[in-house]
Amino acid sequence: MKRGIGDRILKGYSFLLYAFLYAPILIMVVFSFNDSRLLAVWRGFSLRWYDTLLADATVWRAFYNSIWVAGLTTIVSMVLGTMVAFVMIRHSFRGKSILDSSLYFPIVIPEITEALSLLLFYVFTGIPLGAVTVVIGHIAFSISYAMIVIRARLVGFDRSVEEAARSLGANEFRTFFHVTLPLILPGVIAGGLLAFTVSYDDFVKTAFTTGPGFQTLPLRIYAMASRGGVSPLLNALATITLAVSMCLALVRLRLSKT
Amino acid sequence: MIDILRHFRFEVTLSYYADFVSSVAPRVFGRSLLVALATTAACLLLGYPMSYYIAVKSGRRRETLMLLVIIPFWVSFLLRTYALMTILDVNGIINVTLLSLGLISQPLNLMYNMQAVILGMIYNYLPFMILPLYASMEKLDKSLLEAAGSLGAGPTKSFLHVTLPLTMSGIGAGSILVFVPSVGEFIIPQLLGGTESFMIGNLIWTLFLKARNLWFGSAVSIILIALVVLLVGLYMKYITKGEEMAI
Repeated sequence: MKRGIGDRILKGYSFLLYAFLYAPILIMVVFSFNDSRLLAVWRGFSLRWYDTLLADATVWRAFYNSIWVAGLTTIVSMVLGTMVAFVMIRHSFRGKSILDSSLYFPIVIPEITEALSLLLFYVFTGIPLGAVTVVIGHIAFSISYAMIVIRARLVGFDRSVEEAARSLGANEFRTFFHVTLPLILPGVIAGGLLAFTVSYDDFVKTAFTTGPGFQTLPLRIYAMASRGGVSPLLNALATITLAVSMCLALVRLRLSKT
Repeated sequence: MIDILRHFRFEVTLSYYADFVSSVAPRVFGRSLLVALATTAACLLLGYPMSYYIAVKSGRRRETLMLLVIIPFWVSFLLRTYALMTILDVNGIINVTLLSLGLISQPLNLMYNMQAVILGMIYNYLPFMILPLYASMEKLDKSLLEAAGSLGAGPTKSFLHVTLPLTMSGIGAGSILVFVPSVGEFIIPQLLGGTESFMIGNLIWTLFLKARNLWFGSAVSIILIALVVLLVGLYMKYITKGEEMAI
């Protein structure tokens, strides 16, 4: 096919759109290393904003909260997600299709309705809002994300290896832990990482279900940003938050290729 | 908040739905629908040529270009919206650059208005449109276009009668993926918008977390869900019909 003027316009256009997708993030990251109080006037490379952040106890607290909430969410979602994926792939029972489609609900409905349904649940059951309600909320919705990834791994699973283990005398548990689990482990880990990311990045659900004094990183960033506080300091905090989810995504990408 | 429970008494009533009609909510709903519609249309128009550009490439090049569309997904909504704030702010890169070039003498007010909200929505949701569009174009049988060409159809005609009908499933899926979350979007109008761009998400947030009016807040949310389900249902019906007609 000859490369006409149309092709070149299309190429130029696409690159402009890529630039639009990346420019704001790149500018935010670059200016977090700026040795200036001003947001967009470059005055040389510096780590001063990172130093300020590291000295801030509330930021450390928020970071610590984010990590342990996401960590706990990940472990529970991996276990429950694997169990649900197994049931949905290997068993058939009454009402399965309804249950199955309800598993996709958390991914489909607007996030704000998820968040307020959690809040209503806590209010009417009388559970005091705080760290516990945040974690329960994160787990409730991360299971679906983990389940979808694990399930994809289970679909192409060759069951003859399980039958071989069984005929060699291994019981159901032994077969699961020594044959099935090692084979689906990349999927389980990828599902867990997705659950971690969903939880770590979550803002809306956390904001609705948290109580006084419990803050995660996204809540901290939102609190600073909503006061019109666009600043190099916030750029630095956003960059640190972003670096963590980027690393997680890269690991996920590698896992999906094995 | 828990105090509410002590005074809680169950009683069936539709009065909160009646309140809805006389409140500010219908205006807010209308505005949200318009913003979501504008976002969806803009994402479709912007994303279609780009998806096509990626889909006609082959092998590793195509994979890389597609990965470049997916990577922004790895950054959370909140951070992406904040990143946009650093550009549009009074002290942001656009104003600083224009001021230093002497093109403007006063910083422009690029934030806290409707345009900023729509820009923020497009920025955040564009990949949602490109992914399904790309998927539908990737499957497209190129020989059909050649056949149309050899039968005398010009580029416009073969686009309207071959490419467009065959990528309808991608257009439908992409539109739903953009429209549904943008109707209920909260972070973007809250951070980039002003009073003129107060949306359903802001209304629900205010009712639940500021006014503590769980009852009216719930009614508003139920109407939001019903509306989304209705619109998606209608759209799916229309799109699948369109596909049948194309075949």
